[in-house]
Amino acid sequence: MAKESTTIEVGEPSTMTKSTSHVVVDEKKKMGFVVATAGGGYKRGLAIFDFLLRLAAIVTTITASSVMYTAEETLPFFTQFLQFQAGYDDFATFQFFVIAIAMVASYLVLSLPFSIVTIIRPLAAAPRLILLVSDTVVVTLTTSAAAAATAIVYLAHNGNPNTNWLPICQQFGDFCQAVSSAVVAASIAVVFFIVLIVISAIALKRH
Amino acid sequence: MKNESTIIDVPAESSSAMKGKAPLIGVASGSGGYKRGLSIFDFLLRLAAIIAASVAAGTMFTSDETLPFFTQFLQFEAGYDDLPTYQFFVIAMSIVSGYLVLSLPISVVTIVRPLATAPRLLLLVLDTAALAFNMAAASSAAAISYLAHNGNQNTNWLPICQQFGDFCLKSSGAVVSSFVAVVFFTILVVLSGVALKRH
Repeated sequence: MAKESTTIEVGEPSTMTKSTSHVVVDEKKKMGFVVATAGGGYKRGLAIFDFLLRLAAIVTTITASSVMYTAEETLPFFTQFLQFQAGYDDFATFQFFVIAIAMVASYLVLSLPFSIVTIIRPLAAAPRLILLVSDTVVVTLTTSAAAAATAIVYLAHNGNPNTNWLPICQQFGDFCQAVSSAVVAASIAVVFFIVLIVISAIALKRH
Repeated sequence: MKNESTIIDVPAESSSAMKGKAPLIGVASGSGGYKRGLSIFDFLLRLAAIIAASVAAGTMFTSDETLPFFTQFLQFEAGYDDLPTYQFFVIAMSIVSGYLVLSLPISVVTIVRPLATAPRLLLLVLDTAALAFNMAAASSAAAISYLAHNGNQNTNWLPICQQFGDFCLKSSGAVVSSFVAVVFFTILVVLSGVALKRH
């Protein structure tokens, strides 16, 4: 092992090299910073889209719940076998629908601050994960309410000859229409929720 | 501008000694280890969900009942194809079971490559769609089961369970089994979300 002592002379060229090395370090910092905001930029766009979708879902669920709640009809005549009044509280499934969709609407309002946090801090994973988990739970509740009400609405429109369940829509036309549109609005809310879950998952993906 | 050439002697041993140590390998398997555990749990949960979904479809499909006597107003035979909602239930649960079987290879890929995010994202998206589909089938069948058990006085819909006891039992059991599959799906979606989280 031969070691040589070396002398390095520091003179004018060193100041020039110092300035160039300074620029190199700056460039590295600049590039790193640009990469960070680029990743944050597209995630911020996803977060803004998430917020807007949440607002749309709030409108849809409140519409569904209130239309079902106010879907009453009183017939002007009297029939022997059926009641001459129909409301959402005549069906246990519709009662469940009103309560469940109202709970979903209030959850959405409470989740708006979390969505705003993901807009401000696009690279934070904890708010997005919380939103993903709670959105998954809420999508099951919404789908459950919408599907159960759809089954009852289908029966009300078509009846079932095998079980002697008569279709009531032929007597209660207005009630049927209101109830059907409430179910459609809830199904649209389910689609919104699925898109929200997918957005949260894509934004959680690391690079 | 003066330029001086310098000679730096690098002893041969140090470079090979440094090559021997590679600290990066330990760090990679560390985070891959816990994600691999999540993937294995995901695979087992998928197997359990296959059993739950296929039991639900099969029980509903074979829930026929023929009464030994004859009544004037109601049929003396009841099966899943007498109610369109139950038909939808059988078809939907079969589709969900088929999807779960087809998703097993993707789950195996996430076990083998724990740090890859594309298979997990694909599984999460498909699992969310399957969760919504499963829940729709389960809850619409539950609404019809509730009607079959209790009826509805306001609309004069009579409860048929009082005549068709076995049919009611089997169809209600199928509905319960599909709700169990829904719970599994929820856990699967949350698992994929946690495993996608970057560090």
